[in-house]
Amino acid sequence: MMNCLEFRRLKLADPRRLPEEARSHANGCAGCLAFARSMDESEAALERALAVAVPEGLADRILLRQSGQRRAGWKALALAASIVLAVAAGVIAMNWDDDSGNQARLAIEHVLDEPQSLTTRYNADPERFAEIVRELGGSVREPIGSVRYIKRCPVEQGSGWHVVFETPQGLATLILVPDRPITTASTASLGRWTARVEPIRGGYYALVTDSAESNSAANKLIKQRIGWQT
Amino acid sequence: MGSKQQFEQMVRAFSAELYRFAYWLCRDRFVAEDLLQETFARAWKAWQDLREPASVKAWLIAILRNEHLRRFSRKQLSIVDGEPDESEIPSVPSSASRLEMEQLVGLLPLSYREPLLLQALGGFSCGEIASMLGTTEGAVMTRLTRARQALRGELQASGKRKSA
Repeated sequence: MMNCLEFRRLKLADPRRLPEEARSHANGCAGCLAFARSMDESEAALERALAVAVPEGLADRILLRQSGQRRAGWKALALAASIVLAVAAGVIAMNWDDDSGNQARLAIEHVLDEPQSLTTRYNADPERFAEIVRELGGSVREPIGSVRYIKRCPVEQGSGWHVVFETPQGLATLILVPDRPITTASTASLGRWTARVEPIRGGYYALVTDSAESNSAANKLIKQRIGWQT
Repeated sequence: MGSKQQFEQMVRAFSAELYRFAYWLCRDRFVAEDLLQETFARAWKAWQDLREPASVKAWLIAILRNEHLRRFSRKQLSIVDGEPDESEIPSVPSSASRLEMEQLVGLLPLSYREPLLLQALGGFSCGEIASMLGTTEGAVMTRLTRARQALRGELQASGKRKSA
């Protein structure tokens, strides 16, 4: 025989799945019936609160990233760009082609397209950075500097990591791209920006800084403090 | 399991629900989307190995939870399960605002919030949640009871402060 305490325990634990015995009890108990109605109201309020707005184009962005493994060329960039423009979140798409020189140039464009990465702190966790490096087959021997921004970015061939860290020469951006092997390093400049692309195991990294000198110094730092399997 | 087309259908079917679950786990829209991207990336890698299509939602949530734990394990809170005190069950004011409820949900410890999300957002039963969280059904019922008691208690206190 169910009592009021047991009824309330069941109602609090799972308001929408009451056994028949509990429902019968409430129908014959004014106190529990009132409690059940109150619980149903608060449960409805809870469900309304949990139903936060879902970003526009979310499923498309997820599918874009997955389909990046299968698509090639500018078609994917165009699709990515159309989605990116459509959402306020402003996830910036990167397009990479087979030419490592282009990859360096596009890395600069990526940084210019995401200026907030140089002015805000986001996921600034050095342990997270070390974990990402490990996932890419490397190891952080010593900290490369204060990591202040880590974000996953969609790329044509999957996804990459966008990392900003502080160096004695200023901010440096490191874009890590897995599953996109290249064989040669390259450098590109655009305005005052310089990018250096270096192969790592199964992919590459692009280092972007605001001068050739700072790029050379930051790249030296990376080579000294991060061990990459190539 | 299935084809690329089935995977796309799955993404469209579950991305909104999973996004909300991720958001309420981490309380950050950017991180929530990152979590979701990573979840589906891992799901795609294991897609051909999925043997139980009927439980795909639970499978995705398990991947998402693992990814969240992997990133934020240091912030996890431990709890001790026990019998909740039900002698004082406050009633919730009907005027509770959505914003107030959102804030209160966010203040719940993750160990209470997570089963609440799985039930209220995911529609899972206590037994299913217990299986997903690797605990007993009784422990899940306790956490859910405490979560709802906490919400109702805070809302009642807030209502009293407003009317004072």
